Amino acid sequence: MRIYTFIVFLFFLDLLTAQNNEYQSILIDESLTKNVNAVVRSDEMVIHTTSKKEMKVTLRRVVTVLNKYGDSDIQTSVGYDNSRKINKLYAVAYDQFGNELDKFKEKDFTDVSAVDGGTLYSDYRVKYLNYTPVKYPYTMEFNYQYTTPNTGEIIPSWYFLDGYLVSTEKSKISFLFDEEDLKPEIKEKNLEGIQFVKTVNENSIVYEAKNIAAYRQESLSPSFGKIAPKLIIRPVNFTYEGYDASIHTWDDLGKWMYNNLIVGRDELTESTKGSIKSLTNGVTDNLEKAKIVYQYVQDNTRYISVQVGIGGMQPISAIDVDRVKYGDCKGLSNYTKALLETVGVTSYYTHVEAGNYKVDFEDDFASLADGNHVILAIPYQGNYYWIDCTSQIHPFGFIGDFTDGRKVLIIKPDGGEIATTTTYVGEDNHQSTTAEITLNKDGEIAAVVDIVTKGIQYDDRFYLENKAANDITKYYKSYWGYINNLNIDQFGFKNDKNKIVFTETVQVTAANYGSISGDRILFMPNVFNKNKNVPDRERNRKFPLEIQRGYFDEDEFVIFLPLGYEVEAMPKGTTIENEFGLYTTSLELSEDKNSIRYKRSLFIKNGQYAKEKYKDYRDFRKKVSLEDSAKVVLIKRD
Amino acid sequence: MLKKCLRIALFLVVSQVAMAQEFDYGKVSKLELEEKTHPIDSSASAAFLFKQRTTFFQFSDSEGFQVVTEIYERIKIYDKEGFDYATKQVNLYRANQGNKEKFTGLKAASYNLVKGKIEESKLKKDGIFETELSDYYDQTKFTMPNVKEGTVVEYKYRITSPFIYNVDEYVMQENVPINKIEASFSAPEFYNFKINVKGYLSVSPVKTTNRKTIISSGADRSGNVTSFNANKLEYIDHIHTYTLANVPAMREEPYVNNIDNYRSTVKYELSYVKYPNSIPKYYSTTWEDVVKSIYDNPRFGEELNKNGYYEDDIDVLIEGVTDPANKLALLFNYVKSRVKWNGYYGYNTNLGVRKAYKEQTGNIADVNLMLTSMLRYAGLDANPILVSTRGNGVAIFPTREGYNYVIAGINIGNSLVLLDASDTNSLPNVLPVRALNWRGRMIKKGEESLEVNLYPNALSSETKNVLANLQEDASLTGMIRNVKTLHDAKLYRDVFNGADEDNFIEKLENKYEMEIEDFKVDNAKELEMPITETFKFVKENQADIIGDKIYFSPLFFLRTAENPFKMEKREFPIDFGYPSENTYRVMVNLPEGYKVASLPEAKSMSLPENLGSFMFTITENGKQVQLLVRTTMNNALITPVYYDVLKEYFKQLIEKENEKVVLIKV
Repeated sequence: MRIYTFIVFLFFLDLLTAQNNEYQSILIDESLTKNVNAVVRSDEMVIHTTSKKEMKVTLRRVVTVLNKYGDSDIQTSVGYDNSRKINKLYAVAYDQFGNELDKFKEKDFTDVSAVDGGTLYSDYRVKYLNYTPVKYPYTMEFNYQYTTPNTGEIIPSWYFLDGYLVSTEKSKISFLFDEEDLKPEIKEKNLEGIQFVKTVNENSIVYEAKNIAAYRQESLSPSFGKIAPKLIIRPVNFTYEGYDASIHTWDDLGKWMYNNLIVGRDELTESTKGSIKSLTNGVTDNLEKAKIVYQYVQDNTRYISVQVGIGGMQPISAIDVDRVKYGDCKGLSNYTKALLETVGVTSYYTHVEAGNYKVDFEDDFASLADGNHVILAIPYQGNYYWIDCTSQIHPFGFIGDFTDGRKVLIIKPDGGEIATTTTYVGEDNHQSTTAEITLNKDGEIAAVVDIVTKGIQYDDRFYLENKAANDITKYYKSYWGYINNLNIDQFGFKNDKNKIVFTETVQVTAANYGSISGDRILFMPNVFNKNKNVPDRERNRKFPLEIQRGYFDEDEFVIFLPLGYEVEAMPKGTTIENEFGLYTTSLELSEDKNSIRYKRSLFIKNGQYAKEKYKDYRDFRKKVSLEDSAKVVLIKRD
Repeated sequence: MLKKCLRIALFLVVSQVAMAQEFDYGKVSKLELEEKTHPIDSSASAAFLFKQRTTFFQFSDSEGFQVVTEIYERIKIYDKEGFDYATKQVNLYRANQGNKEKFTGLKAASYNLVKGKIEESKLKKDGIFETELSDYYDQTKFTMPNVKEGTVVEYKYRITSPFIYNVDEYVMQENVPINKIEASFSAPEFYNFKINVKGYLSVSPVKTTNRKTIISSGADRSGNVTSFNANKLEYIDHIHTYTLANVPAMREEPYVNNIDNYRSTVKYELSYVKYPNSIPKYYSTTWEDVVKSIYDNPRFGEELNKNGYYEDDIDVLIEGVTDPANKLALLFNYVKSRVKWNGYYGYNTNLGVRKAYKEQTGNIADVNLMLTSMLRYAGLDANPILVSTRGNGVAIFPTREGYNYVIAGINIGNSLVLLDASDTNSLPNVLPVRALNWRGRMIKKGEESLEVNLYPNALSSETKNVLANLQEDASLTGMIRNVKTLHDAKLYRDVFNGADEDNFIEKLENKYEMEIEDFKVDNAKELEMPITETFKFVKENQADIIGDKIYFSPLFFLRTAENPFKMEKREFPIDFGYPSENTYRVMVNLPEGYKVASLPEAKSMSLPENLGSFMFTITENGKQVQLLVRTTMNNALITPVYYDVLKEYFKQLIEKENEKVVLIKV
């Protein structure tokens, strides 16, 4: 009898531990498994800064993967380099009941050079584990620890959610610092509405969050980084590659960067100085001089990325770039800055977060880790002109959608300054398409089309002039993909780099553009700028609608009708005006009834709108798409 | 004999002199620098002015024979798109025990015209980068200084390799034009190589010989007595030289399975080694040799013959089962669920079948050799089939490297059934697309081999039944039933199985821009059954209402909107992956108060040689329009000869599918 109860007791205990066991995956809370590919059971990092010159980082991460799309969420990889040493690395896989399946030691990890496509060489390396799941669900526990003397390399952010379609059961980050001085500065982002506990002690700050349901990606929403619950972190007193730092403001950071990483790297040979001076000889205006120097750099250098040691932060010296005529964004910017200096033009080295999606530097949070790119700011008559020295083709002062309209750090000898780069929004991004089109009785069209673009629309098109003929033909066939049997007979370009205007002239034909139905011919009068772009339908929109730039298209097509046909029916034309913009179309039959003049404009404003507005915007775009496909019906005259 | 040798020597000297005049390292001409565009291909962003490769065998006492490859290339860069050619990347193989390829003798420079003068910039150390890429490869990269539009770069280097059985392919065609190629390959008579030529260019070597002597001062290892006398060995070098001029650039096209299949290359593969006074050791000259050498590798043949590790499990599994088809199904499913593919290719086992079975994961050979072995154990006539995956190109010649994958084949009755257990959703004769690449080679017991077609013969089918109501506001409501078989079903399962259903529906809604309800999939996991997807839908704007008429294409959103073949010309075969048939049955109820004014005419057309066909019939009964459309592609692969016909076929198909039904108010 006694024995019997004992057994029952054991069994009961087993069940209890099973429930608490984060390795099993049969008892996960349903709110965490809905709409997800993986559940982060536990993500715990401890960052222990023992001195200004030593930081120890420990991670223990347990992820349950529910299907094959969640395999990448185990994130079993860790990077290292000459100063970052891995002291511990292993992983364990478990089945759904929490039974151990396999254990992976450090030697089971693949060790590779961490060079991405755009980089020629980097001494950064990665150890990663390539795991083949036998069955879903499974759970992976991943552990590492590394030490580094670069206390400035503290992670710049901690995400309580990994990404879309991944939920979090527990996420915990601990900052331990042996001296008050070593305490990092932390800022909370989007933590409203999540369950978390913050514990602050004399020598530690700990955040622990629990049970966060997964986010789903929504079209035209702000980026994940902007909406995710996270902490942003910056070191205050630290060392980086042997340089000592104490940073409180952007001004401090700018000063530190300038004095440690930039100053004295602008030396040039006398012969280079001589030749750049002779190029600008007789030019007095600083902006004109800067244009000449930029052109010189564009004609003579190319982008090659090499990242060695401190090279991740510090530019290669100007003299070296001058000799080989290549460099990365840091090297080329610094080189251009040195050339400008030689001809008496001041410019500033500038950190920016580059990419099509605009990301601002935080006003009051000076972080060394912010930014992934370098450009130059040239002050002129109270304004800044911006140049990207890694592009060989952009016009002077035009930075396109890679670095436009965002807050950046300008690094000046006497300190740093946050400024906003040139912004291209709404009407700035203009495209005008005009065409003369002849439709014949077989439905074939022949047309000459002119497309004139400015702003970001210029940025989208001007590279065409550098493409091979074959690729240009391919481009137009895909740009007008909705026109079947399209033939590109001729094309020509004019790139006005001063006014930043690109003009394309294209001559095309397309058989069967009009579809013949007995005595009738049907065709869409909007031949060359049909907008089919309708954002996805979303039932429960969670996030705001964001349009970062907007644009303005104006079109005018004259369509000559085939002999012996007259218009039977024609769309009336539309005007839709709302908070998102304006859409108009109009059709007009010529007096001699031989041609139709089709006019259209579509203006999309930039802006951020409440999530409830998303549906209205989608309806607007649906109407545009529908109206853009409206047809004219011609009928044979008796 | 002597005379002949002399003549040959003379010839070689002459051609070398001729070469020396044109392309000598460091002697870049003004003319080359002044050239603005390529004289033949004006769209080229760069061109190889000269591409030279010399591969020969070099003897040293410590290393024995090694393969030395010397590269010299001169490249003209016309525009910014061509800057990539100023960076060169060389991967160097590294085996165990310190055996590795060595990169030496790099000399490189770029040349520019500055004020009418040629300016040379030499490559220095800071432009050379060495990386340990992975466990098996080192990589050396270098990038030239002073590169701009118009620059000429040139470089030479040497690779010394102990891997005499693995000579890198000669690449005779690049993505930019090559003005002149000079290549040579010479090997001592002891090493017999087979030449495999691929691509559209006619490439054939001029063959010559040369007498050679080596003096070895090392220990004589042939006898029991070690003597330190100098050994003198005389032998004949066989020399192949290639001279090509004006090689056109390769260009990418859609629906090409792997463009490298069509690139002109020459591959030297070791077929046998015969040292003086010893028995020749054969590698591969015929398919029999290839098969033998693969089979003899312990990681293939021996692994295939192991069965102790699974006997007990399999005995239980197939106890009492006699029907071969049932046995096949049981074993195939058993391996699929028991051992998962770890993503690595290869016809040699990686972990070994025993370990793979235990750890439940392995490479392609682990999985499929295990399957073959089990099928044999169960008394079936099963054999491994070597395959070259799409990424690996087509195995045209008898080579070991031509293959990188293995599947199982089994004879049941008169037919051969192909099996690949590395893919959860694969079925007998429904291989994953990666393995669908021309022909494989079946290795039978007794080491004979036989070519087998990997492309399926059976048509994969997709049948869409639509029952819909067209509303007066031009929206369409209705129901779709979509039945898919074989590869069409497999590709659907690849996406659907394992995905979250809500997400799947959402993607479908966005793809068709419609609202979906009552979504249901049958037979998602019952692989041998056709997979069936049914749902109700509402889709707006499916007709044009103009005046008192309504116009609509009766296939609505299912019609083919764009011709996949847009370019005027086609050089490479068109690869559809597998033969297929699509059927659409659409029944549309007309809106109240409308009748049909006109219907598109019926149409049927066929591609030549029974390659494919299209059929379109439409009827109406006053209230309903009924449509039947069937397209068939009988072949997976269509040669470019038929490109124009195929393009025209798609043009007409699209026109027909886009033609309108016209309704008029009663």
